[in-house]
Amino acid sequence: MLIQLDNIYKIYGEGLESEVRALDGVSLTIDRGEFVAIAGASGSGKSTMMNVLGCLDIPTYGTYLLDGQDVGELTDKQLSHIRNKQIGFIFQGYNLIPELSAQENVELPLIYQGIGPGRRAELAHGALERVGLGTRGRHKPSEMSGGQQQRVAIARAIATSPPIIMADEPTGALDSKTGLEVLGFLQQLNREGSTIILITHDNGIAATARRIVRISDGKVLEDHEQEVDWL
Amino acid sequence: MNLTQAFKMAVKSILAKKMRSLLTMLGIIIGIAAVMIIISVIGGVNKKQMEYYESMGTNKITVYANLWNGGDAFDEVYNYCKGIDMVLGVTPNGYVGCTVKYGAKNSRSMEWSPQIYLGSDQYSMCNNFKIEKGRDLSYLDIQNYNAVCVLGARAAKEFFDAADPINKEMTIGGATFTVVGVYGEKDPSKQYSLDNIIVIPYTSQRYLSEGWADMSEFTVKAKDSASVNKVITLLNGNFSGWEQTNRGSFWCYSDQQWQDQNNQQAMMMALMLGAIAGISLLVGGIGIMNIMLVTVTERTREIGIRRAIGAERKSIIAQFLIEAAMICGIGGIIGIAIGFLGTAIASKLIVQMVLLPQAGVTVGAFLFSVALGILFGMFPAIKASKLQPVVALRAE
Repeated sequence: MLIQLDNIYKIYGEGLESEVRALDGVSLTIDRGEFVAIAGASGSGKSTMMNVLGCLDIPTYGTYLLDGQDVGELTDKQLSHIRNKQIGFIFQGYNLIPELSAQENVELPLIYQGIGPGRRAELAHGALERVGLGTRGRHKPSEMSGGQQQRVAIARAIATSPPIIMADEPTGALDSKTGLEVLGFLQQLNREGSTIILITHDNGIAATARRIVRISDGKVLEDHEQEVDWL
Repeated sequence: MNLTQAFKMAVKSILAKKMRSLLTMLGIIIGIAAVMIIISVIGGVNKKQMEYYESMGTNKITVYANLWNGGDAFDEVYNYCKGIDMVLGVTPNGYVGCTVKYGAKNSRSMEWSPQIYLGSDQYSMCNNFKIEKGRDLSYLDIQNYNAVCVLGARAAKEFFDAADPINKEMTIGGATFTVVGVYGEKDPSKQYSLDNIIVIPYTSQRYLSEGWADMSEFTVKAKDSASVNKVITLLNGNFSGWEQTNRGSFWCYSDQQWQDQNNQQAMMMALMLGAIAGISLLVGGIGIMNIMLVTVTERTREIGIRRAIGAERKSIIAQFLIEAAMICGIGGIIGIAIGFLGTAIASKLIVQMVLLPQAGVTVGAFLFSVALGILFGMFPAIKASKLQPVVALRAE
């Protein structure tokens, strides 16, 4: 079992009248090689879910085992290493660093791994080639279209070859054609063995995943396998 | 994150906001330049003073002795000094203000009239003068009350210009004196009147009808710096009784004491002025802290991205610390450049000599400015590293 959530709560302002239960007793397991869509309306708790799964946030209660390791017991440094090596993030707003070129943005996680400049440039260039931007390495994000920026973000996520890719509304800022390209790319990564977790509010997009977990009010509403629209 | 990368990032970030970075550096630039100029100029002035002391002769002790009821302090002290084996030479050191004439030249109409000293044949040795022309005062001149004189280089030039002064007769204080020698120039920069002197035998005071020299001062030259204090101890041991029994007054001091005092004063002055200038460094440091806090706030999202893709806290701290240190370091370098220029100009104006800051001061100034950056960058950097990745990513 790659990911095992057991009775996870994320509560803001606990004990207050204004208490918000972003996650309200979620239990979930995800296997290696799965393609899971976590779907829900805005405010359903799916973003909190992604933050907890991505080790960006710590649950208030409950146990999260990632690859057998209890995330709740890890130090900030160990969590940083997990984010660096185990997880590749793709965000809705791309989250590229504007001062850095595409190549430098993709190199960033490799820098934090301590990989030397030569090997780093090679890996980053390889990742950019995989997303079809092999010749655009020198461009700054501001010189690229939204679709290209998201492909740079994907290249950054896959540059370290992490076992898990987490995509938070990856198509949210893209037109439907470029959106489909991105989803197709995620499916391809999944076929190559990566575990993909896709967070979305859009059922059409959730339909590209083999398994769909619907979330509402911080609870798992349904969790089932489905026919996939292969792109 | 490796350091090269952190340095590159810092350069990028500083270049992206050139104007802001420059304004931030201003406090450091002014502070470093001011401290450097103050330390260098005071140091230069002090060095100049030390050179002046050196040129007047080293290992010198000034002795002052006077008996209240007309007793013969002069012979008693003079003979005692001559009898100390650590002493190389002794001369009475009398000064008289009187008119000097030669031909149509009169010291009263000169802008800088020469100083007349009454000394022994050891006057030149004690005061570090070297004979250039003719001869020095001799033992016989003293013994025989000879009316002769030796001129300092500048006095010779004032009265005789290019002509040879030897064996010419001058009128000093109404009496006729024969020039027997000229001392070599001691102060080529001509700032001090060290060379504008005329030395006559102390025994020839009797000829002067104008002015009167109080002969209660002596200059004693010890054989080396280690002997100076021993000689002072001996003298005090022998004569301090005068003061206690109210017979007269006696005191002696070495030039070394003057020099030490001078050094100390210069040091105090440098410290005080340096501290005042240092305040601008403090203000500069606070400016750095302020701008780094703004930078951290502006780049909250970037920090979030970096943390999300695996940056540890210490990488974030390193990134902002290096940026702060680099801003201060660059400010320091500009400040040092201005400090060099300012020191050269200020020293030219104050001591008529172009001085430059010492290497130690320069290196110190640079290291200090970098340390300032690290010190004041620490708080913003730690603040940046404590941002929760989730919170930081949500920032606009």
